[in-house]
Amino acid sequence: MPSLFNFADRPSYSPTPARSRRALAAAIAFGVTVTACAPDEPVMPELSFEEALQEQLITAQPGDVIEIPAGVHEMTRSLSLNAPGVTIRGQGIDVSVLSFKNQIQGAEGLLVNADDFVLEDLAIEDTVGDALKINESENVIVRNVRTEWTGGPLTTNGAYGIYPVQSKNILIDGAVAIGASDAGIYVGQSTQIIVRNSRAEYNVAGIEIENSTFADVYNNVATNNTGGILVFDLPNLPVQGGRNTRVFDNEVVSNNVDNFAPEGNIVGTVPAGTGMMVLANDSIEIFGNRFADNQTTSVMVVSYLINGLPLDDPNYDPFPEAIYIHDNNFESGGENPDFEALAMLSEATGQPVPHVVWGGAIMPDADGNPSKTASDILCLGEGGMTFSNLDAMNGFAAPSFDLSPHLCEQPRLQEIILPNDLTGAE
Amino acid sequence: MTGIKALLGITLLAGLAACSDSTPNFVADARPARLSEWGLFELSADRLAPLPALEVVRPANPLFTDYAHKLRTLWIPDGTQATLVNNEINYPVGTILSKTFYYPSDADGNVVKVVDNGAREIDLAAARLIETRVLVKQSSGWDALPYVWNDDETEAFLRVAGASRSLSMVDAAQPDAPATQFAYFVPNENQCSGCHTTEHPDGGMHPLGAIASQLTASAHDAAGEFRPQVDTLVARGWLDTAPTGPALASFEDLSLGLETRALAYLNMQCGHCHNPKGAADTSGLVLTGKHVTRVSTGVCKPPVAAGGGAGDLQYGIVPGDPDASILHYRLASTKPDEMMPELGRSLVHAEGVALVREWIGSLSGACGAEAPLSSAAD
Repeated sequence: MPSLFNFADRPSYSPTPARSRRALAAAIAFGVTVTACAPDEPVMPELSFEEALQEQLITAQPGDVIEIPAGVHEMTRSLSLNAPGVTIRGQGIDVSVLSFKNQIQGAEGLLVNADDFVLEDLAIEDTVGDALKINESENVIVRNVRTEWTGGPLTTNGAYGIYPVQSKNILIDGAVAIGASDAGIYVGQSTQIIVRNSRAEYNVAGIEIENSTFADVYNNVATNNTGGILVFDLPNLPVQGGRNTRVFDNEVVSNNVDNFAPEGNIVGTVPAGTGMMVLANDSIEIFGNRFADNQTTSVMVVSYLINGLPLDDPNYDPFPEAIYIHDNNFESGGENPDFEALAMLSEATGQPVPHVVWGGAIMPDADGNPSKTASDILCLGEGGMTFSNLDAMNGFAAPSFDLSPHLCEQPRLQEIILPNDLTGAE
Repeated sequence: MTGIKALLGITLLAGLAACSDSTPNFVADARPARLSEWGLFELSADRLAPLPALEVVRPANPLFTDYAHKLRTLWIPDGTQATLVNNEINYPVGTILSKTFYYPSDADGNVVKVVDNGAREIDLAAARLIETRVLVKQSSGWDALPYVWNDDETEAFLRVAGASRSLSMVDAAQPDAPATQFAYFVPNENQCSGCHTTEHPDGGMHPLGAIASQLTASAHDAAGEFRPQVDTLVARGWLDTAPTGPALASFEDLSLGLETRALAYLNMQCGHCHNPKGAADTSGLVLTGKHVTRVSTGVCKPPVAAGGGAGDLQYGIVPGDPDASILHYRLASTKPDEMMPELGRSLVHAEGVALVREWIGSLSGACGAEAPLSSAAD
């Protein structure tokens, strides 16, 4: 036997639930035999389901499949996975549920820092913070996974449902994200991304692509969120310069839920009734989508400056450029804007807010003149929608409704193909 | 205990206990289920003491862990030596670090909040053992093993998934105040790497306490002499050369300026994640004290993905206004999704929060509409 504790004067006695020292003192006082080296072996504690699952996640080897059985499994602490090549698989999106209703520790439900990761066929419910956070991982698949806060859209819900960040080759397919107080599906500071066949409902932001490059967002339903689909680029982050995102063939309908984000967060500034918002991103192509009943506007294209937040980042470009919106189906919307400037606009014209609104800010050159033309910033193809340039740079003083500067095309963006997507695009 | 007495102690114990050993047992490339298999301690009914062969160490600037006391040990196998590489201690394979978390306890079963004076052994009649974390240098790198003590304090078992303990704490400084109930969390192994892997995600784990800048600080050695701990290691032949450079500033060192202390505190509590390569670099908040821009320390920085952790506040730090500062809010919170650090505490570190509060209050300037920067916004 290898070196043990030096059980110099250790009594032999069977462990009892009672606290040890007093029990021991009594044992010694009553002259229980004291042996130096052969105390009864203390008994190894049994693990709960939760502890056994976490232990499996820690000891997992590449290629392992960790099965989550049917049923609702109560979790009290964050789960985490750092081992690469692991699949966590439940029995179905409504069948295997990890419930964090009684969570007392951890800022996430499941935290993953692991390459070649697959999560499928299960639900993560009622986490205190983010439901699923995937940090700095490559080749990630989240398929048929539901993240939900079951009490409805509440400010006290966790921030993000499905949250890959600083990751690469991310496929989110057939996900359902409900109730996040920030974004249901949120891909941040990442590259090579597909979000498809998913449903985002009752979140502040349904689907958000932030500070990311090369993303395809398609065949999703974003409904009953504050904002349906957001594509943002924010300053003061290690990964910025968001660009090259295609948003196509989505149903973006009735995103009119009052903004319930905690104050201070950037999505807290998104007006209820926003179908889609592009903020400070470049090279975004929006096509084949159906926009209906988003009561602020269908699509808003704005610079970061519209928030009026201080900006101290010389490496950051706050202006959107090369935005191409074409061949969408714009239906109703813009009839009850939750944004003062747009409400005034609507009142002044007696018309709903146009389908597409642009803040109108263009990066100034050294002399303070616009460095680009309107068609460098925003192309609307052959039109087919109503439009306004809000003139936000001048306090919304002279908005224009003239599409003609924007009747242009941008280069089509390439399809995203992921090495870990064996099914391919549909 | 003097060195000679310690030596006598070994001899006596070795004589008394057939299974005793004078050195720990480095278990190569394996993960023993029981702490006893490492052979680090002498355990009796009334005390837990490191083998005399171990060095008891104290870092200059310790992490806060719910006011737990910590007994830290270092052992380097005979015939091997740590080397100084780029002014950092490079430990040999077989090095074993341990950190035992315990609380002084009272007769009613409460744990007691009281200053940790760095006891070299634990009087079990007046303390409650919680966990012993072992950090061992294997040929593949550092491995972290959390061992949790059983209620009888006869053994600690490896719990890779961590554990929790419900504790009731009384404050020695406020004997009439009611006890505070809280859950003490033993981290799971992934959570260990959350702090000990400072270059996320590809860097390896490494010690946070037994490093050059921490052990340059002086402490009492086994013979009672007060000197830089690295000198003790050199004198033992465990380290080839003492590192140069000052010890890490301690936030408790009242001879230092307010900002120095506050940044030292934030560095130790937050910098292992909030550094340019750390797990929290996603936030853009750098709390190592080596920030490039003021905004990256949180000054007038809007939150990115803080959720409820933003506390309905606009900026990380509003100069002069700690109550409007998210940094202060999160340090003072105990909600799992809001509080910072995310791990290692269930309680508020009142002394640390007070320090950060005072520092933020001392800063001048403003954010948003009142700030000169806002002229850039339309």
